[in-house]
This record gives sequence, C-alpha cells and structure tokens, in this order.
Amino acid sequence: MIKKTYRVSDMYCANCAMRIEGLEDHWPGIVSIEASYRKGQMTVAFDEKRVTEAQILAAVARLGYTAQPG
Amino acid sequence: MEQLILAFITGLTTGGLSCLAVQGGLLAGSLARQIEQDLLVARAGPLRPNIALPIALFLAAKLAAYTLLGALLGLVGAFLTPDPITRAGLMIFIGVVMVGNGLRMLNVHPIFRYFVIEPPRFITRAIRRTARGKTDFSTPLFLGALTVLIPCGVTQAMMAAALGAGSAVAGAALMAAFTLGASPVFFLVAYLATELGARLEKYFLRFVAVVVLILGLVTIESGLNVLGSPLSFASLTANLQPATETPETPTPAPVPTAVPPTAPPPTAAVATGAQKAPSAPVAATATQKGAATPAPIAPAVAGPDNAVAVLQLNVLNNGYVPRVLRAPANRPVSLALVTNKTYSCARDFVIPALKYYQLLPETGRITVEIPPQKPGTVMRFTCSMGMYTGQILFDG
Repeated sequence: MIKKTYRVSDMYCANCAMRIEGLEDHWPGIVSIEASYRKGQMTVAFDEKRVTEAQILAAVARLGYTAQPG
Repeated sequence: MEQLILAFITGLTTGGLSCLAVQGGLLAGSLARQIEQDLLVARAGPLRPNIALPIALFLAAKLAAYTLLGALLGLVGAFLTPDPITRAGLMIFIGVVMVGNGLRMLNVHPIFRYFVIEPPRFITRAIRRTARGKTDFSTPLFLGALTVLIPCGVTQAMMAAALGAGSAVAGAALMAAFTLGASPVFFLVAYLATELGARLEKYFLRFVAVVVLILGLVTIESGLNVLGSPLSFASLTANLQPATETPETPTPAPVPTAVPPTAPPPTAAVATGAQKAPSAPVAATATQKGAATPAPIAPAVAGPDNAVAVLQLNVLNNGYVPRVLRAPANRPVSLALVTNKTYSCARDFVIPALKYYQLLPETGRITVEIPPQKPGTVMRFTCSMGMYTGQILFDG
C-alpha cells in the first residue's frame, strides 16, 4: 500500500474536500482519502496493484480539481 | 407578527446566502450527490421531477429542527435575556466571521480558510455514506436536521433574537419564519449543484462571497453602533452633519423628571421606563398611547446655568430626527423621546454610555434624564440593532 500527499489548491469550500474524499467509495483500490480544504491538500492511501496514481489524479481532475504531488 | 415578517425577509434576503457560505455547500452538496446517478461522471442534466421530493424533505427537516431550536432558545431566553452590549459583542463576532468567510470565498489568502468550520472526518464520512442511499427518503430528512449543528452567521444572529423572544412559542415562530425564508436559496443551491455542476457553482459562490462580505461589514458596523463606538461609520459621518436640535425649554433644577410641553391630561399613565441604568443616575418617565405627536421644535431659549435643558428626539420608522442634537455641558438634560405610530426597531432605544435600554411605546413620549456631561462629550444613541443612530454633542 502506498500513502501519498498531494496539493489541491483549487478547493473552494469544505464540501470540495468531502467530494474528493468520496472517491474512496468508488474505487476499491483506494483505502482512504483525507482531504483538507484548510490545508489545501489530500492524502491518499491506495493499493497500487488495483489502482494507479494516474487514475486517482484523473478522477480528481474529473471532479474539477487539480492535484499535484506535494 | 411584524417581527416574524422581518425574520422571514431576513431569511429570504440574507439568511439563505449566509448559510450557503457556511453550511450550504457541504449539506446541499451531499443532497445533490444522492440525486446524481454517478458522482464521478457528474454530467449536467435537466432537473428531473423526482428531485423535488428529497429537497422538500430536506427543507422540511431543516425547518423542524430550527423550529425546535427556536423553542429551546426562547425557553432559555425567558430566563436569560442578553443585554444590548452582549448582543453588540455577538454581532461584531458574527460580522468578523462573515467577513472572514467572504474573503475566504474570494480566495484572498489561504489564512481565511480558518474561518470555515471543517467538520471532523468521521462526521463527513457518515454524512457522505448516508447520502449515498438512493431510495431512502430518511437521508434528506437526516441531512436537513443536521444543518442545525452548523448554523451560519445570520442564523446565529437570529438565534440570539430567538433567545430574546421571551417564550418558547415566540422563539419557535421566529426561527421557523427565518428558516422558511432561507429555504428558496437552499433549493437553488441544490438545483445548481445538480443542474450546473461544480464549475458554475464556483461563480455563484463568488457572487455570494461579495454579498456575505458586505453583510459582514454591515453587521460589524451595527455592533459598533450598539456599543456606542466612535469608530463606526455612522459615528464618523454623523460628525459631518450640522446639529439641528438645541435645548428646547429650560426648567429650574433640580427636577427629577421633566414634563413635556405636549404633555397629556393629568389622567394619563406615568411610569418608570428605564430597564437598565446601573451605573448612571438616569431616570425616565413614560407617557403611553395618545400622549404626543412630534411637534415642531421651539427655538432655543437661554436659561439659568443650573436649569434642566430639554431636548426632543422624534423616533420615526426610518430613524431619529434630528440625528445630531446639541446640549449644554455641565447641566442636566431631559431627553424626550417621542414616538408616533412608530413600529420599526428605532423603538428599541439604547444609549450605550449610560447603559440605558428602553423599548418605547408605539405612540407616546418617554423622557430620559441625562446627568451633567463634560464639554466636548459626544453621547451616541442607537436602536438595539445598530441600524439607526444619532448623537448628542455637549458643549460649553
């Protein structure tokens, strides 16, 4: 399992963090996502055999946010 | 009834927007997710007919929760009524939170993100997973009731008003009227979240940010006015206005209460009107309905040095006339507050420096006895909401 932190600077409310965290319900390979609007970042724990980093970042982008390695 | 209409309009105009800034995005977004078929796809689509029911349930639960909260606050407030100074402190605090939220939403600086309430992760996870249920109508009911846990600034102000409502029923009615008024905006938010998607919601929130920022500044200004602060915008601009009122009629001192020139027949009721005057020798006489009509002010008449100077202040629905009065220093002053079919909050009269607070009759005349003041003293008065203001200038 890999745990990585990303900067997400374009969240604009606490609900954005909740939207991003919602990804863990849709991707079995994502163990957990902790997103913070205050800190402007998200920490993702995922199983690299089931989901790739690129897939996670693409899913975040589809929600309208830009995640960059922090 | 008038207060309920005001609460409804407050909810309709400001409450919904303010709540949107604090809680709307979080909870209405959760509701939207329930309606969306797939969050990841998030396609914009037409408003489907079945959206109306969950939103209605959400709003109904919110209404019920806040009505219950209002009843509770009214009950508590019956035992503990906050004085205007406490309310002013609350207003300033709320205003600062609103300004901070406005600046946060405009993305002025990341530090303003600390003005937002970020619920603990276990709560957001619980809300999210509850919201995922697609057919269970208990979900929007649950989410609607949850909004009571994160009230916005305007809602908190309304909660303070419910605290002062005097009874459980009055508090419940006040919060119900406010929440009903705020409901259309919540519906709009839910609609936007599903219909327009996150990107357009951003632009909508920018508009809201500007409105919340302005409302926050107005709330701070009102709080400063109730505190009698010389730093408020109203105080600063009041100094630019000419004084239009001077002592009306001198009467020999010492006289505990002044009899107004337009006094009613001797049969009229006379009662002590001051609710709070702990630190100053302020007395008041009240003459109730039918007592007076705002009369033209007689020209200033010079009197002996120890005479009581009489001033008249007309309390109108749109404020105080004149806004600036001039009084002699080092002499007692009788300030006659005259109402004539006055129904606005101008009736809720406060002189912060004297800790004087009085709800004036809709029609009548109440006299406030002001002790001698030093030359140069500026005594500010305001309504308890800080909306209408004025001042008395004491000069030698």
